[in-house]
Amino acid sequence: MNPSEIKKLLLSSASSDTDTRDVARRLEEEGISFDFSNGFRDKVLNNLVSSGLVIKHEMEFVKNMNFAFYRIALTGVAAIVVLLISIFLMEGSLSLNSFLGLSDSYNESIVCLITGN
Amino acid sequence: MIKESYNAADENELVKASLNGDKNAFGEIVVRYQKMVARTVKGMLGDSVFAEDIGQEVFINLYNSLPEFRGEAKLSTYIQRIAVNMTLNEINRRKRFFSLFSQKGNNEMYEFEVADRDTENRREASEIVNIALMKMDPKFRIIVTMRMLHGYSTKETAEILELPLGTVLSRLSRAQKQLKDILEKL
Repeated sequence: MNPSEIKKLLLSSASSDTDTRDVARRLEEEGISFDFSNGFRDKVLNNLVSSGLVIKHEMEFVKNMNFAFYRIALTGVAAIVVLLISIFLMEGSLSLNSFLGLSDSYNESIVCLITGN
Repeated sequence: MIKESYNAADENELVKASLNGDKNAFGEIVVRYQKMVARTVKGMLGDSVFAEDIGQEVFINLYNSLPEFRGEAKLSTYIQRIAVNMTLNEINRRKRFFSLFSQKGNNEMYEFEVADRDTENRREASEIVNIALMKMDPKFRIIVTMRMLHGYSTKETAEILELPLGTVLSRLSRAQKQLKDILEKL
């Protein structure tokens, strides 16, 4: 097929009336076909394995972080609960003054405490 | 169960086995559809090693998105959509990259991309096809690629590109005008 025939064929493929299957077949017969190099399948599968390993490592890291977070968070919550119980038992209430350790102090003694006089 | 060969398996069986982690089944999907993906990717990006990398990414993307494949469309349509989206993304990425360094755009890459043809005659024919495609606007190029290299009808093209049929027809008529201008200068 000479260049002008190829051009005509190309142009016809952009027309909505053309049987495009015939165009594709004729181009392929002319050796105008596209394919990937040999061993493409193996390259894809190798990439799949390596990308799979990266995902696996990332997932393990996230899993470890979650585990560590839960351990720390649970310990923290337990410590807060113990602290609240001990404050309640010692001070008899859970008011702000109890938290600050000022429930037994009078205003004057607090001023003395702050100013040093 | 992992089978040694999936030559005769239908696409549902291949998808199911791939989802179960059977690499041989996925390998068979790659073998069956690699030429189709090559036509889309190389038709849009030119015949280069970069196109091959994008081809690999298409299949890796397919593997990762297989759990979302519900079988409503044919597997070939699903793969074709991934290939089209990834190719258009790559074209946009290249446009952004080259606009940083050059005012001329990515058509300048062409001389580098078209290489390694066998006979003189075939080379000439291939080059005409490649140059014509590369000089087209990507939104027209994708439609011409679908029709010229894959032989899809306008209806099938609209389905794959997820565009209304009217849009495909109007783009096709504008693509024809652009292609005529390009081919006259070749």
